[in-house]
Amino acid sequence: MLLIMATGLKLGSITKSFGDFLALDAAHLSVEYGEVHALLGENGAGKSSLMNVAAGLYSPDAGSIAVAGVPCRFAGPRDSMQHGIGMIHQNYKLVKRFTVAENVLLANPRGNFRSGKATIEREIKEKANALGFSLDPARRVDRLSIAEQQRVEIIKALVAGARILILDEPTAVLTEGEAQRLLAMVRDIAEGGAAVILVTHKLRDVKAFAHRVTIMRGGKTLATVDPRQTTAEQLTTLMVGSHVVTPSRSAKSAGAVRLNVTGLASSTVEGHTPLLDATFSVRSGEIYGIAGVGGNGQTELAEALVGGRQPSAGAISIEEPGSPTAADITRATPRQRRDYGVASVPADRQWFGLATRLSIVDNFAIGFIHEGRFGSIALIDRTGMRRATQAAVNEFEVQGVRSLSQRAGTLSGGNAQKLILSRELSRAPSIIVAHSPTRGLDVRACAAVHARLVAARDAGAAVVLISEDLDEVLGIADRIGVMTRGRIVAEFDAPADRNAVGRAMVDHV
Amino acid sequence: MILEVRLDMPAWKQAVAVACSILIGMFISAVILVACGVPPSQLVNEFASNVFDAQSLHAVLVQAAPLILVGIAASIGFRARFWNLGLEGQMVWGGIAATAVSIYHVGPEALRLPLMALFAMLAGMAWVAIPALLRLKFAVNEIISTLLLNYVATYCLYDLLYGSWKDSKDGFPHSSLYANAERLPDIGHGINAALPLALVLVVMVWWFAEFSRFGFYLKFIYANPAMGRLVGVPIIPVVWTAVLMSGALAGLGGFVVPSGIAGRLTQGFFEGYGFSGVLIAFLARNNAIAAAIVAALIAMLFVTGQSFQIFYQIPFSMVQMIQAIIVMCVAASEFFIRHRIRLQR
Amino acid sequence: MQDIVISWLANLPSLAVPYALASLGLIISERSGVLSLGAEGLMLVGALAGVAAYLSFGGHPLLALVAAMIAGAFVSILFAVLVVLLRVNQVIAGLSLVFFCQGLTNLIGTVANWSNRTVSGLHVLPLYPLSELPVVGRVLFTQDLIVYLTIPIFIAVTYFLNRTNAGLRLRAIGENPEAADAAGLNIYLYRFAAVIGGSALVGLAGGYLSVGSAKIWIAGMTSGRGWIAVALVIFARWHPWRALAGALLFGGIEALIPQVAAAGIRVPQYFMLMTPYLATLAVMVWQEVRGRIGSDEPAALGQPYVREERT
Repeated sequence: MLLIMATGLKLGSITKSFGDFLALDAAHLSVEYGEVHALLGENGAGKSSLMNVAAGLYSPDAGSIAVAGVPCRFAGPRDSMQHGIGMIHQNYKLVKRFTVAENVLLANPRGNFRSGKATIEREIKEKANALGFSLDPARRVDRLSIAEQQRVEIIKALVAGARILILDEPTAVLTEGEAQRLLAMVRDIAEGGAAVILVTHKLRDVKAFAHRVTIMRGGKTLATVDPRQTTAEQLTTLMVGSHVVTPSRSAKSAGAVRLNVTGLASSTVEGHTPLLDATFSVRSGEIYGIAGVGGNGQTELAEALVGGRQPSAGAISIEEPGSPTAADITRATPRQRRDYGVASVPADRQWFGLATRLSIVDNFAIGFIHEGRFGSIALIDRTGMRRATQAAVNEFEVQGVRSLSQRAGTLSGGNAQKLILSRELSRAPSIIVAHSPTRGLDVRACAAVHARLVAARDAGAAVVLISEDLDEVLGIADRIGVMTRGRIVAEFDAPADRNAVGRAMVDHV
Repeated sequence: MILEVRLDMPAWKQAVAVACSILIGMFISAVILVACGVPPSQLVNEFASNVFDAQSLHAVLVQAAPLILVGIAASIGFRARFWNLGLEGQMVWGGIAATAVSIYHVGPEALRLPLMALFAMLAGMAWVAIPALLRLKFAVNEIISTLLLNYVATYCLYDLLYGSWKDSKDGFPHSSLYANAERLPDIGHGINAALPLALVLVVMVWWFAEFSRFGFYLKFIYANPAMGRLVGVPIIPVVWTAVLMSGALAGLGGFVVPSGIAGRLTQGFFEGYGFSGVLIAFLARNNAIAAAIVAALIAMLFVTGQSFQIFYQIPFSMVQMIQAIIVMCVAASEFFIRHRIRLQR
Repeated sequence: MQDIVISWLANLPSLAVPYALASLGLIISERSGVLSLGAEGLMLVGALAGVAAYLSFGGHPLLALVAAMIAGAFVSILFAVLVVLLRVNQVIAGLSLVFFCQGLTNLIGTVANWSNRTVSGLHVLPLYPLSELPVVGRVLFTQDLIVYLTIPIFIAVTYFLNRTNAGLRLRAIGENPEAADAAGLNIYLYRFAAVIGGSALVGLAGGYLSVGSAKIWIAGMTSGRGWIAVALVIFARWHPWRALAGALLFGGIEALIPQVAAAGIRVPQYFMLMTPYLATLAVMVWQEVRGRIGSDEPAALGQPYVREERT
């Protein structure tokens, strides 16, 4: 039975901008104690920004905050915590080298160090037991799994006495099983009287676990509905706003094998082997999608394929048409791989895809300059660079380019990705390694990126698509490999059964 | 109080901010000097005389040449993200190599000068190659290694000057005088050939950074080496080229000072150039031509410092102090360029 | 031969103290995430302040050392403002601080006539009756007060870092300032305190060098010890006791130089003087060859903390 109390958290007309960028536009949210309230929206809709305001990390330009009916203003995270708001961020605010107890103690001082530690350890065990799991307070956080670290974050908030719990995309890096357990726990916490806000873009989680859902788009709050009374299509339309076209699958068949990966493994200095034994092949004219929950070796595989990391075992080879032997590029430098026709679309585009401080022209031209396309060693051809960059910007529809000399960092996520694609795909590469190419992009930008990858495939490229977004992989891949614990454990041909793929993703835990 | 990041600031505003901070820095330095007993009127006098007094002007131009060289040496190293703080050590070895050519009469007299210059550059390159190698193979931070090697180089110099290279004629710890053919020729008004040489090198380094393919690669190495590597930039050859250039230019500076000014290898000929090079590169934002201009200003500071030392017994290291104050003011001003402060109730 | 060894060991502790105290001070500020390259300058400030206070206030060595600490802490405020508040690049700020201090101390030392004047400084304090023991008596129990205090200081700092709430918070800020901020800690306050507190120790190291060890102020007298301390901290992987071991190593090398001459071994003077610097390089290479230094580095070292930047 829900106790009738004053509204747990009420955010009214919150506006926040960062320079020119309006992140929140009179957004509002109202959450009751005892409910699980989902905050649904696409990436960039403003969900995290709104929650950062509630957590005291951002101060709003305008608007009001009220906790349990009492208006308040937060000068920093501490204020927010003192009002009973606890936020679990997507990247956990944990000190990796400290133990669980030390991390909880950091946020919740309890007298002097020695006695405080003992008190905290007791509180941790109590709270954990009440929620149905065990947690050893003396373990170092960097030895815990992602799901366990998340529980530390939750315990930290509960020990601090949080009555309003905000979870930001909590199931993004969990397996299906871990996600179910987490959401069930979250529901228990709500039934205990707390208000829980679930920030997510996963419709299934919302429909299964939330009592109410508020949809945001473009920094505004659109509506608050009961997810059990609303269909998935209605929710999607609210989230996205318009009809989205997914690229249709062409009937082309794939050619000869182009890329061979055998037994690829990679170990870290501490002896972990995130990448254990990856084996797969990709043919020209096909998209091979690698699906899996994040943290199973995808990043290491992507890096090994493009030359950002040396594998400790295994081989990568490229078969060239008209050449009897395959070229072994296992230990080749990125530059040598590019000479072989490998193109890279990295996941962290602001860091590995672009030099944000340099101009758009520079970021485009760097992909071609060593072939001699823009002048000689002694004198570079700046005019030629500008011409080619302008042509590429036009062809790939990169928006937001006021001047080619502006810094690449000023481009929005989608346009930055289009610039990267223009650089990589203009070379007519024979192999493309795309890692989470649509992470953080809105639906329209996603569609544009997918269209480019499909076009490259149609032109004969062998595309390796590594993505933690199962919808993306199911949408455009011709063949799907499921990656778990550093191995490709199952392969499917498109169209693949979603449940079968999902099972393969968790079965080998 | 809220801090906001400015999205960008027009170049002219930035230049004004930097100029203001330099003036503030000089003002603070003036205050310190006055507190140490220098009459304020004399301060202005001495500084202004650099430009208006012919003899001082010549001294400034002569002093500018080695400063230009260390300035562009530092800047080309910084462009490759290599903190070459070993400019003094490289100068020392440049001077030693050049002096060796003189002492051992290497080559015919007509070629003596070019040979001295060449060996000075090679010696500077060799000395910078050590920390470069240590960084490449052993990830040893070059800030510390280049600085420590300065001390090692200095002791090597003392060993020679107090030992086998001591001038037998007067017994002082400096080398014997260079022969006439080994001294940089005058090109009029008491200015020696080092200045045109330095200016030619400025243009070369500027071209290298702005118009050559290596310079283009350097932009990426400076801005984002991780991305550069993935996109095919040949990082190791380019960084080595820049670092060796840096050492060569500093080594050349070590030839220009003894050969152009004192006419022999002396104990402290390199003092003050190390941090000056860093300062010049920092203020010039690693641009070679701006470095030449800044170097001229620093040369004025040097000459002023020398006369203060003679007339007011103020130690020459006041120059270093003033340079440090200016760097701190300019660095602090970047905060105000990047951020706007808003008061919020 | 035995005399030489005993003589060497007896001189070792007081030569190790500047390295030890300076690197301990650096560890405190670096554990909070602030890369402190200004040690060479702060030591000079402490050295001058020590001699200045000694000459100006009636020759009390302890007063002089306290003055050295205060001077070091005071000058470091400038560095803290630049680096913590104004987010200036920590390498540039550190370098500038060093040259600023070199120039300033030279200037003031000359103008105020504190240079090149010997002071009787800190006296040796034999601990009767332990100092009468053979060998050990001379080496361990016939030293000055600061040498005796060094180990207690190390114990106190280690206790502070590992067994107090404040130390926990300091370390958290150095590892993950975002986590510390989310926990409600005032990053700026802790970093300021760490820089200033650590610099007091660095100043003390300098003061000991002039008042306790060399018993004179000469411009530039630290001769790179500050830089060696910076390297020592990396070598010690930011752990105080390992830094002490490194300090003993370098004190030992320094103490060896006069003994070599006394032993009649003919090594060119200047090559002997080079050994501490070459030893530092060797140590840094060996450190890397042995295994990763980086894994113990405070994860947020050298990066200014910004909460709201979105560009």
